Amino acid sequence: MIKYWWLGVIFIACLILPLFIGEFWIHVAIEILILGLFAVSFNMIFGYMGQLSFGHAAYFGAGAYATGLLMVKSSVPLPVCLAVSMITAGLLAVVIGYFCVRLTGIYFAILTMAFGQLLYYIIFQWYSFTGGDDGLQGIVPPDWLFSATSYYYFTLLIVTAGLIVMWFICESPFGYTLRAIRENADRTRFIGINVRKYMLINFAVAGMFAGLAGGLLGPFNRSIAPDLCNWHQSGVPVFMTVIGGPIGFFGPIIGSLIYTFLFAFVTGFTEYWPLIIGIVIIFVVLYMPGGILGLAKTKFKRRESKAPIVEEN
Amino acid sequence: MDASMIFAQFMSGLSRGMMLFLIASGLSLIFGVMNILNFAHATLWLVGAYICYSLWYLFQDYGFGLWLSIFLAALALAAIGVVIEVVLIRRVYKRELPEQLLLTYALVLVLGDLIKIIWGVEDKMIARPPLVEGPVFFFGVPFDSYFIFVLCVGFAVAFGLWWFLKKTRYGHIVRAAVFSREMVSALGIPIPKIYTGVFALGIFIAGLAGAVQAPVGSITLGMDMAVVIQAFCVVVIGGFGSLLGTFVSAIIVGEVYAFSILYWPQGALVMIFILTAFVLIVRPWGLFGTPTRA
Repeated sequence: MIKYWWLGVIFIACLILPLFIGEFWIHVAIEILILGLFAVSFNMIFGYMGQLSFGHAAYFGAGAYATGLLMVKSSVPLPVCLAVSMITAGLLAVVIGYFCVRLTGIYFAILTMAFGQLLYYIIFQWYSFTGGDDGLQGIVPPDWLFSATSYYYFTLLIVTAGLIVMWFICESPFGYTLRAIRENADRTRFIGINVRKYMLINFAVAGMFAGLAGGLLGPFNRSIAPDLCNWHQSGVPVFMTVIGGPIGFFGPIIGSLIYTFLFAFVTGFTEYWPLIIGIVIIFVVLYMPGGILGLAKTKFKRRESKAPIVEEN
Repeated sequence: MDASMIFAQFMSGLSRGMMLFLIASGLSLIFGVMNILNFAHATLWLVGAYICYSLWYLFQDYGFGLWLSIFLAALALAAIGVVIEVVLIRRVYKRELPEQLLLTYALVLVLGDLIKIIWGVEDKMIARPPLVEGPVFFFGVPFDSYFIFVLCVGFAVAFGLWWFLKKTRYGHIVRAAVFSREMVSALGIPIPKIYTGVFALGIFIAGLAGAVQAPVGSITLGMDMAVVIQAFCVVVIGGFGSLLGTFVSAIIVGEVYAFSILYWPQGALVMIFILTAFVLIVRPWGLFGTPTRA
């Protein structure tokens, strides 16, 4: 536990952060946390299981709509809504994952994307229930979370709890089985492990936490739109993970920090955000494979007895 | 519902399918040979449409202006394809699939914004020459005469690609490179040049498709986003790398779309995704692909 003292330092830094920054940057910080949770859940499939999901926004969007609809159409307290979000997204992930885990590689990526787009068009067209392309407005958080600072602390609490749970899942025997599946699914099968079952469970868990992140977004933005489910949104956690580095648990959060910060900064003076992020990604892919963490690992090779996560070739 | 309406819908599905084939064939060719899934394919298709518009704007006083523009736009796209391949794609041949996907996805973003910077945000319209302006009648059913041209281009590209791959020496080299890169290069054939050529050919077809699409309606920013996913669906249903499969599945997707519009207008795209998911689940290598690629 002593090894992870720096996590405590970062957490305390996060706690006192709102004292030093203005409201705009508190909003940015909330977004970093929410998208960071989303990206870490994506990385459970990508980094730990070795499959690229290009439809992860479906669970994020499902979570957002579950909370959004409950808050607009009823008066259920927010924590209950978030739980419902997790369950909804998890169930959706079980159904979609049931089919997706039969495939690997490019087929996995395309099937997850096809299901993601399917959900997107359903939400987009179903005016009577989801509001169609108008989205849902007026998702007002309860009074005790109304100010940016209080919502920041609430988000920090939920995201930290989510990250801790995911961390323990990834460091459990279950997590190591996933790594084995990533390295060689056939050999893992030979030692008697039901590969598809493990992949499906992981897919569902990743979907649940993506749903939790989505649920946090609605009350933060006061509104949600079907764009949350389409493949552009699915690209966001991919970007974050690749920028930060898929080889570590915290890579996607570093990616979220860089991506969201850059977004807030760049959109301040130009509308050509896609151009900038596109160039950044081309640069990262060409010159920084493994992202920030990969770079850090090769530059400062630390003497670690056990390799916590096997590096990608 | 009477027969003439079904026929009209069938023809509309056919022209839509032919458009999809033009886009998906290049995508399938590049994936089949180079094993790179080009996310930016439809964005390059849109670039082709915009370049065609600009050229048409220059030549609009001449009768042959549009046809010349279509041809030149496709050539321009081939040149862009060469640049992209040499500068970017070549560096990631040996990388993992996600990195290749991300690189082409980043290209979507960059090219999309470049289009916005160069051509602005207004929709562009091309006035058609009189030859393809009005409708033609088949069995009393009106049919846009420009679509006759689209159908001709579609069949020409399908035949041309088939002829190139099956009957020419370069086509044989390309097909050999699919099976064994090492063997082909051991025979003294420069693989990078082959890849550059294939990528440029794929983008040439994308540019041609875009230029042909340009006079159909207005050219709009973001048109590529809906199209790229449908092109993926076509390639998946037909089977990666299978030209015949791409052709057949493009027609199927076009028809499914056209007839879904009739019965369930909101669900047309949903039907295509359901079809794609179904094929992927039941037969991941597609209708005409071979299981070894799965």
